[in-house]
Amino acid sequence: MSLRRQGTTLFSAMLALVAAAVVLQLWLLTVSMEALLSGSYKALIPAAAGSTVLLLINAGLLRYVFRFDRDAHGE
Amino acid sequence: MKTQDEARGAASSKDKAAPKWRQDFPIEWEGDHYVTRREMVKFLTLGSLLLASANWATVVASRLVRRGSHVERYIGSAASLEQAGSMLFRYPTDSDPCIAVRTPEGKLVAYSQVCTHLSCAVVYDKAENGLFCPCHHGLFNLAGQPVAGPPTRPLPRVRLEQRGDQIFAVGMDVL
Repeated sequence: MSLRRQGTTLFSAMLALVAAAVVLQLWLLTVSMEALLSGSYKALIPAAAGSTVLLLINAGLLRYVFRFDRDAHGE
Repeated sequence: MKTQDEARGAASSKDKAAPKWRQDFPIEWEGDHYVTRREMVKFLTLGSLLLASANWATVVASRLVRRGSHVERYIGSAASLEQAGSMLFRYPTDSDPCIAVRTPEGKLVAYSQVCTHLSCAVVYDKAENGLFCPCHHGLFNLAGQPVAGPPTRPLPRVRLEQRGDQIFAVGMDVL
């Protein structure tokens, strides 16, 4: 199996993970907006921290994509 | 490892050997899937960055709102409140309606007039001894807690100070 074909399969799986994380972030943002508008600010910082953790996970996966891409070009 | 020039040279010689349609459509299905998925991961990560930034923006916005709710404002005289049973005023800004009530125990309380269900204006209901929302028949007790109808969150409380006959709003608490 060529590295590119492996990459296609790998990126499909990563795409599913990243998309799930983005959906979670969207949900966190709607929760934050509702909390902000209703004046209950306690949930805002945990929601923002959770969103940042998801962003870091996504950034880690993206870093892996870049690395893999570099290796695939060098093949 | 091939240098870039070598790779480019190999690609151009391959193109020359390929038929015309291949020159017009040089990307294989496999390559196409590879590139589109890779680009989609990049695009979604950028979206993720924007969403995380928006989440932190709500934290900053909440700090700004909180800072603005500590202003002191004269809302009326105690005599007029005793006469009417309740008093409407605006706090902390002119677009925030609030209601002050003297409880049967003689305590002075005030809350945001905006119902936490769908933002209708609540009114003082002497018979129910609470704040009634006429839109969907929600009822809050005089501690600001929802006791009937659709509202589930308490009303934001306005902190009051009575100085002689004058009543001042001095801050807002979210219960």
